Amino acid sequence: MRKALLFVFLLGCALAHAQSLKKKGGLKSKATKQDIFLQKQWWLGFKAGVNLSEAVPVQRYTVLTPTNYPGTQADKAYDGFRKTGSQATLEITFQYKNFSFSTQPTYRQSRFTYSNQFQWTSTNDANASLDQQYDFEQKVNYADLPLIIKYEIGSNTVRPYVQVGIFYSLLIDARQTVRISGTDKASGGTNPYSSEPVIVGTKDLFANYWGLMAGGGVSYHLGNVKLVLDVSYHKGMSNIANTKNRFSNDRLSGIGDVQDDLKLNNVVISAGVLFPMRFLNSNFKSIDR
Amino acid sequence: MNRQLLLVALSAFAWSCSNKSDPAADKANFTRIYDNNKFEASYFPIDITQTPDGGYLMLGGRRLDNSNFSGVYLMKVDELGAFVSEKEVDSNNIDPIGPILTANGKYYFFCMSSVALQSQLIEMDANGEITQTINVGGTYPAAAAADNGSFLLLSYDNVNKQSVISLVSPSGSVSGSKGFSIGQGDAVEAPIINHFIRNGRQFPFQVGKALSGQYFFNGFFNYTFSLVFTDLTSAAPLGVVQGQQAEGGLSQVLPLTGTTYATARFSFGDNYFIPAAALNSSGISSSVDLGGNSFPELTANAPVKILVTTINAREIILYGSNTHSKQIALYGYNKTSGEFLGSKYIGFSNPFEIAGMATTADGGLAVCGTTYVAGRFPRICLFKFSREELGKVFK
Repeated sequence: MRKALLFVFLLGCALAHAQSLKKKGGLKSKATKQDIFLQKQWWLGFKAGVNLSEAVPVQRYTVLTPTNYPGTQADKAYDGFRKTGSQATLEITFQYKNFSFSTQPTYRQSRFTYSNQFQWTSTNDANASLDQQYDFEQKVNYADLPLIIKYEIGSNTVRPYVQVGIFYSLLIDARQTVRISGTDKASGGTNPYSSEPVIVGTKDLFANYWGLMAGGGVSYHLGNVKLVLDVSYHKGMSNIANTKNRFSNDRLSGIGDVQDDLKLNNVVISAGVLFPMRFLNSNFKSIDR
Repeated sequence: MNRQLLLVALSAFAWSCSNKSDPAADKANFTRIYDNNKFEASYFPIDITQTPDGGYLMLGGRRLDNSNFSGVYLMKVDELGAFVSEKEVDSNNIDPIGPILTANGKYYFFCMSSVALQSQLIEMDANGEITQTINVGGTYPAAAAADNGSFLLLSYDNVNKQSVISLVSPSGSVSGSKGFSIGQGDAVEAPIINHFIRNGRQFPFQVGKALSGQYFFNGFFNYTFSLVFTDLTSAAPLGVVQGQQAEGGLSQVLPLTGTTYATARFSFGDNYFIPAAALNSSGISSSVDLGGNSFPELTANAPVKILVTTINAREIILYGSNTHSKQIALYGYNKTSGEFLGSKYIGFSNPFEIAGMATTADGGLAVCGTTYVAGRFPRICLFKFSREELGKVFK
C-alpha cells in the first residue's frame, strides 16, 4: 500500500514538473539570459476596498470616576469589527519567480465604536431612575506604509497567493461623533430622550503606530494586466492613543470621555488591477514568462 | 556587525513607535468627575490641597435631607486622580468652609455645629480621616486663612450682629478677636443667613493678613459688604474699602507687594479684575473707584479665585471664575507688568463651576469644581494641568 502511494505521489510530481517545463518552452530548452530576465517583473497598480476595525483596550482610562459603585462599570464597551471603513492603495511590486516584494502605500479610514452607560437610582423610590448612554464613533485616517512579501502558488491564469508584512501608519486625521441618549423614569413617567450628535476633531488624541500583517488573495491574469483580490489581517503592535494629549480635549473631557490606550486591528479587503512595467508589447503577455 | 546594527535599528524603530503608557503624563494632566449613582446625592467641593503622597485631599459639602445647611464631605484621591476614599461626616457638623489649612503636618478646616451653630475646628490627616473636633466658640464661621502656624477665622455673631475676626491656634484656643457691627435691622442680616443656608447669593467672605501685618476681612460692616482692615485691638477699623450694600464689593483679594493687591470686584452683577490694585488700608475708600477690566462673559457676581504661580519662569496671577456658558474660565496676568497673558476655558456639555485652585508639587495646577452630570446631578470634578500645558496657554 505504501509503495503504491509513493508511486502515485512520484508520478504526480513528475507530471507537474513536466507541465511546468512545457510552459517554459519544452523539455529540452535550457535557461537562457532571456529566461532569467523574464522571471523578473515590476508591477504597478491600484487597489481599493473596505476594512473592518477592532480597537483593543490595553489600559483603560476614565473621566467619570465612581465613588460608590465598581470602577469597571465606567469602562467603555468596544464593538469589534462592526463599522466599515475604506481604503485606497497604490501598489508597487517587484516579482521574482513566485516571490514578490511589495510596498503598498494606502490611505485608510477606519471606524470603530464604543459606548458606556450609567444609571442613577433614587434611594427613596426604586422605580425612579435615569439611564444615560454615551455612544462614540471614532474615525481615524491613516497613511499606511507597508513592506510585504508575497508568494504566489502555481503559475496558472488564476493564482492564489499568501503574504506577510510589516507596516507603519502615519496619522492624518481623526474625528469623533458622540451621541447621548437615555431614559428618564424619575420625572413622572418613562421619557426616552436623545441629543443631537456632537462632532469633535480628535487628531491630537491619536498617534502613529506600527503593526504586522498577514493574509492572502488571488490574482487573475487578464491579458497583460493582473486583477487581484486580497484579504489581510493587520495587527496593531503599538498604542494608537497619544498619551500626552489624553485629556487635552476639553469638549470630550467635559462630556466624560477620554481615550484608553488602544491597539487597532483591521481586516482589510481590497480589489484592484496591476500593470506590468517591463516588456510590454502585443506579442508578449506578462503571464508568458 | 551589519546584522547587529540592523537589530539595533529595528529595536529603536519599534521602541520609537511603541507610544507606551506614560505614568508621568497621566499624573501631569487629567480630568476626573467623581460620580455617585444615588439620584438624590449632591456634592460640591470647597477646597483642594495636594498631600505629600502626591494625591489630593478635597473638602466639600453635601446635601442633607433634613436641613437647609450643607453637610461635610471629604474625599481623598491619588496622584492620578483615582478615587481612594470618601467620608460623609455626620450631620452634627455642618457648613464647612475653606480653605484646607495646614499646621504641624496636619490638616484643618472650620465648620459649624448643627445645634448651637458654633464654630468647630476639625483636625484630620492626609487621608481625610478626622482625628479631632474642637469647639472654638463663636457662631456662623464664614471664612478662614492660615497665619504663621495659627488660623484666622471670620465668623458672624448673630446675637450682637457683628462680623467677628479671630486668631485661633491649632488647639482651638482664641488668642485675639474683634467684632464689627454689620448694622441694625433684619434686612442687613437676611443675605448673610441666606448665604449660610445656601438659599441665596454666596458672598465672597474672606479673611487674611496684609503684608504690613494688619489683618483684613471681606464681609459685612456697617450695612455694606466691605474690605475691613484691623489690628484686632482697635475698636474701629483701621481702613475700609466699601462696597455698595450687598450689591457691590470685592470678590477676592490677594496681597502682592506693600499695599498692592491682586483683586476682583463685583458691582450690581458686573465683574471686574484688577491684577494690581493699590488698596488703602487706612481711611475709607470705595471699591467702585478701583475700576478694572470688565468681564461680561462671567456670571453675575461670579465667584473669583486668585493665586500666584510660576509659569515659564514668570510669576503669573491666575484668576478663576464661572462663565455664562457654564464653563470654568482661567485668566493669566503677568505679576510684574499686569499684562494679560491668556485664558483657558474648562468644561463642555454639562455645567461646570469653580470651587478651588491649588498649585501642585510638579509646577502644575489643580482646579476643583462642581459639575452637573447628565445636566442634573451635582458632582465634584478635578482638573489637573501640567506646567507645560499652562505654559502653552499663558505665554
